[in-house]
Amino acid sequence: MTQTDDADPIAEDRPLPLPPNFARHLALAAADFRRGSHDWRAWVLLGMNDIRQRYRRSRLGQFWITLSMAVTIASLAMVYAYLFHTSFQKYLPFLAVGMIAWGAISAIVTEACTVFTGAEIYLRQVPIAKTVFVHRMLVRNLVMLAHNAVILPPLFYFLDVPVTWALPLALVGVAFVIINGIWVGLLFGTLCARFRDMPQMIGSIMQIIYYLSPIMWMPEQLYDRLPWLVDYNPVSCILALIREPLLGRMPRLWDVEVVVAMTIVGYLIAIPFFARFRARIAYWL
Amino acid sequence: MTSIVLDRVTVDFPIYNARGRSLKTELLRRTVGGYIDSQEDSHVSIMALRDISLTLNKGDRLGLVGRNGAGKSTLLRVLSGVYEPSIGSVTVEGAVSALTDMMMGMDPEATGFENIILRSVFLGISVDQAKRSVPEIEEFSELGNFMHLPMRTYSSGMKLRLAFAVTTAVTPEILIMDEIIGAGDSAFLAKAEARLNRIIGDSHILVIASHDEFMMRRFCNKAALMQEGRLIKLGTVDEVLAAYHGG
Repeated sequence: MTQTDDADPIAEDRPLPLPPNFARHLALAAADFRRGSHDWRAWVLLGMNDIRQRYRRSRLGQFWITLSMAVTIASLAMVYAYLFHTSFQKYLPFLAVGMIAWGAISAIVTEACTVFTGAEIYLRQVPIAKTVFVHRMLVRNLVMLAHNAVILPPLFYFLDVPVTWALPLALVGVAFVIINGIWVGLLFGTLCARFRDMPQMIGSIMQIIYYLSPIMWMPEQLYDRLPWLVDYNPVSCILALIREPLLGRMPRLWDVEVVVAMTIVGYLIAIPFFARFRARIAYWL
Repeated sequence: MTSIVLDRVTVDFPIYNARGRSLKTELLRRTVGGYIDSQEDSHVSIMALRDISLTLNKGDRLGLVGRNGAGKSTLLRVLSGVYEPSIGSVTVEGAVSALTDMMMGMDPEATGFENIILRSVFLGISVDQAKRSVPEIEEFSELGNFMHLPMRTYSSGMKLRLAFAVTTAVTPEILIMDEIIGAGDSAFLAKAEARLNRIIGDSHILVIASHDEFMMRRFCNKAALMQEGRLIKLGTVDEVLAAYHGG
């Protein structure tokens, strides 16, 4: 009985080959990205469907997004314009733009955590590119952003916010949100698939960032005492890129520099990380 | 040319319990030297496939046999590209369609028509191609006016009929199935079977895992026996089934 171990007819003694090296991982991740871009119909369809599913059969439909944001902004503006002794006319546009931009940023970051875990049924069944689900999350949030942005034109009209040539520059800010959204999705999506308490952690961090960034308070109110909170806070800088042009001012070059730096650092971390663990995501689900 | 080449494929699964998944455990594992050994057992991994090499060419119809847990489903998932092996390589030439979960990608709130498009995209079919196949799917699934209603209004039989019709609308080059699929009431069953036979016949390569030996003899010209993640025998269906029962 000791020698006749007949369970393994095929020899076990040859050593297993080496796991793929990093260059191979990187090439596969690039292929995933290409396939993901090619399957744009899948993520557009999925992203739009997420919105439709959320508001289907409700009378106002997706305009609940707009309505609830408008109500939030109006109530906050009423309280805080008074608390800060600022004129309503000056504070309301500031808050509206900030809340809408922040809404998009925070939703992208928190939903980045569930891009892969939320797509479990797909990722365990079909060989679909992982990046599809990052793009889907971005499509969904851009649609949300577009719905919220509807609030701005009438608001600006009634409050006589000056419209200047700087206005189109706000789109550059939005573009940066999308570009950064991709690395955030790749990095956080992968991390959260592996470590299931990451989403909670990121959720509470975002809550803190909300208070520490000039969304409810105006940068000039704190700039004398806590300038670093405005200058070295990437969220504050990316918010400025969207807000300043909309309020008729040019953003500072500094803000652009910080956001570009964040983008570069973000990709430098996210690309190797995603490349290394991309293939493992399906096993973690 | 349609082909599948597996070269020394090994797949191992990490098994995490709640502790293994938490960041705290991971950080402790990295920082507290003395802790490593006692914590290591929360990090079990199962070798689901071990060193599998296999080549399939056009015309091959492979049946996988083996007990539960032998690695058949994992192998199918590797073949369809869902799992990328931790070690070894998989080279697949040709469009793969895995008929595993038929309802995957369908949304109860969307109409039948929207679901055809949605499901098709996940099966790797282009939207244009999907739109062209709509009339045929509509006719085959016998849904009539229900096509324009949300899927949640369908009976379970209707849902299944629609899912089956979409799934089998386009013949893939490589067809992967986990057990033979069937759908619906007896009248529909005959129709479904004819259609399934057709796509099985038209596909270039078929890989099916099944416990149904009758089906296996009928559809397959090759079989492989799996045991504990290894491919221990490859040969004709009769040989392999004999080995399966004998061993």
